[in-house]
Amino acid sequence: MSIESRVTDAMEGTTHTLQSVISKSVSVVVHTLEELGSGWIFFLRVMRTYRKTSGYKDAIIEQIAEVSTRTISTVIFAGLFVGAILVLQFDVMLKRFDAETLLGGLNTSATIREIGPMIISFLLAGKIGAYTTAELANMRVTEQIDAVESLGVSPIQYLIIPRFIAIVLSSVVLLAIGLSVSVLGSIFVAQYFCGMNMYQYIASIPRFAGAWTIFEGLVRSIIFSTIVANVSTHKGYSATGGARGVGRAVTQSAIYINVYIVVANFISSSLLEWIHDLFFWAKNIVERLIF
Amino acid sequence: MGLDIFNRHLRTLYLAIQLLKKMFHQLSRGPHRKLEFFNQMEIIGVGSLPIISIATGFTGLVMTSEIAWHMDFALSNVSMIPGFTGQFVVRELGIAVPALLMVSKVGASLTAELASMRITEQLDAFKLLKIDVVSYHIFPRWAACTISTVCLTLISIAITIIIAMITAVTKYHFNSQEYFNTLAQFINSMDLLCAVTKSAIFGMVIPPIACAYALKCEGGAQGVGQATTDAVVTCTLAVITLDFILTAIFSALL
Repeated sequence: MSIESRVTDAMEGTTHTLQSVISKSVSVVVHTLEELGSGWIFFLRVMRTYRKTSGYKDAIIEQIAEVSTRTISTVIFAGLFVGAILVLQFDVMLKRFDAETLLGGLNTSATIREIGPMIISFLLAGKIGAYTTAELANMRVTEQIDAVESLGVSPIQYLIIPRFIAIVLSSVVLLAIGLSVSVLGSIFVAQYFCGMNMYQYIASIPRFAGAWTIFEGLVRSIIFSTIVANVSTHKGYSATGGARGVGRAVTQSAIYINVYIVVANFISSSLLEWIHDLFFWAKNIVERLIF
Repeated sequence: MGLDIFNRHLRTLYLAIQLLKKMFHQLSRGPHRKLEFFNQMEIIGVGSLPIISIATGFTGLVMTSEIAWHMDFALSNVSMIPGFTGQFVVRELGIAVPALLMVSKVGASLTAELASMRITEQLDAFKLLKIDVVSYHIFPRWAACTISTVCLTLISIAITIIIAMITAVTKYHFNSQEYFNTLAQFINSMDLLCAVTKSAIFGMVIPPIACAYALKCEGGAQGVGQATTDAVVTCTLAVITLDFILTAIFSALL
């Protein structure tokens, strides 16, 4: 084999690899955009239908009862451990900086604003999201949703909206319960594992956490639970392809919920910081004008 | 009713522990199905890389601004950012976030795959051919998942620290050289060793639990969905609980 042909071969190989890499990354981008777009369209469709819907209160309450009774024990368990882990980590870190007195405030603030909602929402993605997706996908692949449609009932009105509203409402409540459990649990962990006085711990909480912290936690909870509700119902509603399709829909809904939550965490964090600054700037101006 | 469900979960967990024991037994018998192992490394490890890099990148961004906000608020001074961020990433966030994402990506797909094999009677076909599903199917996935979780954790720690550094440099006017010098004072090789141990344990625990739920699944497509849900939730809880136990052990040791 001559050198020239080898060079041509190598060049051809390189071009081929480059082409495949480019086409793969383009298809990944296109796929992501498609996913985001179809999710948004589904969300808008649900919202538009919701405006015209009335008389599904019983179904919503039934769904809320089902979702919350199934999830509450897991959320309490997870909340307890999330608080405990964060206390242990912050304790070790603050000891290196000789700032142990800040433990209570730092831990409470980080739990409520940032890490608590994120990790408990990961759990909700598995528990509520996967269950809802499996249920709806099963209905879709066994053509029960088509049957509902052929009876002249909107499946979005009849199947999706009660689940959607129930997931949003009960996730917010469940996140609030989980966060309170983790805040209370971390007090005991600080006392018994880190050798810190309970009252000293509690006394440092108001230095960091206040009404604004709880507001931020609430906003995050609402955003995350809307993501859980939207992605899980959308993935279940648009499942295709038999028993395998049900498994694929469940897996995809769990992954997409987690990724969306992480990205939404970043966006909401920046937005809330901006709103916080704006709020305090306005408050300062008002105070200066009045006094 | 409630006790019944509890019993079922306990039995599945017992099966998972038995599976884990069989994995170590298989490991002691030497390499098995090497090609399948490398295939699974590609599917599990390389397949999860984009999602985990995106997620941990955003986590690094959020965390730096959060910690800076806290420090600014309490001490009116942001010079603690490098040490604090670095420690938090290496000790906790850089390990827990990839592990939780691995649960929902790898754990869910393992369960869905094996459970749909079970309900379509492919596992019975294995039994007929005298193929042991544990050593044939589960072991390569377990080995691949363990190794790729460790690698992905190290990659995600690197990504998070670099993105945190970029945020600190652009937003809080740190010097990058100075940032890394401060970081090196607060992170030592012991921290990294703990991170590797933790992530290896998480990677080892996920596949047996996922496969145990799949092996116990029954009743058509609905059963697959139910098994996947249960597997994801149990794996998440197992990761969180183990995280607490390992953190308590390591913080007592160090």
